[in-house]
Amino acid sequence: MDDIEGKILSNRSIAPGHCLLRIRLSRPMGVVRPGQFVMMKVPDGGVFLRRPFSIYDYQKGVLTIMYKVVGKGTEQLSKAPEDTPILTLGPLGRWFTVSRRNIPIVVAGGIGFAGVYALVKKLQGKASIFFGCSTSDEVALLKDAVPFHPFVATLDGSYGFKGNVIQLLKIHLNGLKGKNVEIFTCGPDNMVKSLRGLIEPHRIPCQVLLEERMACGMGLCFGCVKKTMDAQEPYKRVCKEGPVFDLWEISL
Amino acid sequence: MGNISIKLFGKNLRNPVFNASGTLGYGIEIEPLWGVETLGAYVTKGLSIKPHHGNPTPRVWEERHGMINSIGLQNVGVDRFFDAYFPFFKRKKTPIIVNFFGFTEDEYIACAEKIKPDRFIVALEMNLSCPNIKAGGISFGKEPDMVFDIVKKVKAVTEIPLFAKLTPEVKNIVDIARAACEAGADGLTLINTMPAAGFDVKKKNIPLKGGLSGPVLKPIALRAVHECSKAVPVPIIGVGGIMDAMDAISFFMAGARAIQIGTATFVDPYAIPKIIKGVADYLDANGHKKIDDIAGIANNV
Repeated sequence: MDDIEGKILSNRSIAPGHCLLRIRLSRPMGVVRPGQFVMMKVPDGGVFLRRPFSIYDYQKGVLTIMYKVVGKGTEQLSKAPEDTPILTLGPLGRWFTVSRRNIPIVVAGGIGFAGVYALVKKLQGKASIFFGCSTSDEVALLKDAVPFHPFVATLDGSYGFKGNVIQLLKIHLNGLKGKNVEIFTCGPDNMVKSLRGLIEPHRIPCQVLLEERMACGMGLCFGCVKKTMDAQEPYKRVCKEGPVFDLWEISL
Repeated sequence: MGNISIKLFGKNLRNPVFNASGTLGYGIEIEPLWGVETLGAYVTKGLSIKPHHGNPTPRVWEERHGMINSIGLQNVGVDRFFDAYFPFFKRKKTPIIVNFFGFTEDEYIACAEKIKPDRFIVALEMNLSCPNIKAGGISFGKEPDMVFDIVKKVKAVTEIPLFAKLTPEVKNIVDIARAACEAGADGLTLINTMPAAGFDVKKKNIPLKGGLSGPVLKPIALRAVHECSKAVPVPIIGVGGIMDAMDAISFFMAGARAIQIGTATFVDPYAIPKIIKGVADYLDANGHKKIDDIAGIANNV
């Protein structure tokens, strides 16, 4: 982990309200594992605290972040042009751990795909990928996952399966009865809740990448907690004990 | 880098720069970037007699020049801190200041009693911003009489030097400072966060009420440090919105014996080592041999 200066190589829109940011770092970030994140000092514009972003990809000193414009920080970031200097603290947090015994399934909702893409890439086609979003516009987020033949659900039916991604996963899971399956997921709370409802009777292992408003990103402030089943210490830090948690340890 | 060590309650500290309670985890979290031995002293996360879970999320909210937090004093409890974390500071030869709190007088007293003197403990720091459950939730630190009472009772059960950390949400902080000192406080930490609210215009709601920190707090803290340092004879630790070495210098000149850095670490995780170096560089560049040369030299215009 280090705080590294970098410069924006490119920062472009890839779907309405979604951008892909590439930064050339001035020195290597160290080993990056799927599910880890960075805290980024957003250039200018009165953004005080850093912002957390999942590491979408990292290779040869180039860090790639896929983000959705949701507030002041991401709005400022989306306006930052090429060559803008940028500070990046990372890699941070606990990552996805993959067991060779299980058949991996990756489930992502909307921009949640940014959190699981590094895992998809690492699994090199061994995982089934389920992606859910509102309309066909967001399917563009999957451009790097196309070789892995993702299953896609859109709420309005404008692309792929009409409905939500958990309904689509349910159909697929029926065909995997009796097999050792493990699920890796990132997406909106409602999606994670309905995923939990679907797989709870089968107690399928599931790792979930969670998001929370953060200040420090390294476990200093205890600002980004999630409630867990641990009776002794129910609030765990998303930045330190997470962002990847065992779904069955989380209190949703 | 020049010598910026200070002596506090008979203990030699490497420098006068500490972290603010609750802004450097349990100390171990910063290890990947720099070690706690960099600090003059590590100030613990606020400890209570029993472990405390804290508040649900959201716990943080950003403002233009600061942040609001409502962590709710989550901590592992005083026993576990000394079992699990204190040995780490001893190994690192880093003195600590133990910040503690309670929701009743008895909890404050029990917590202070638990902490036994040790050569690596410089002082206790009692957080007086906590709500007093028996007094209907009014904070312990708001009225001089209440401050006198609680400080006197805590002082009676400990041999460790005691800092009273005061809330700025009072009519006259000098009156509170005097009350704390008359009750036996050996030092003051000024100030704690200021009560504030965040507002989400998109959602038309107030997502968070909590304590405001960051640069927006600096002028309030500086005034408190300056006025209290003229009024009481005990050492003052200045805290509130210190973002860089020049901010730190201004607190020393205003009358602080030491300073604490909080929110700055979230903006720049290297803020503390940078400030330590910057303070030393300032002294060197201006021909001062020690911090005391600039302590309290600020003039009123």
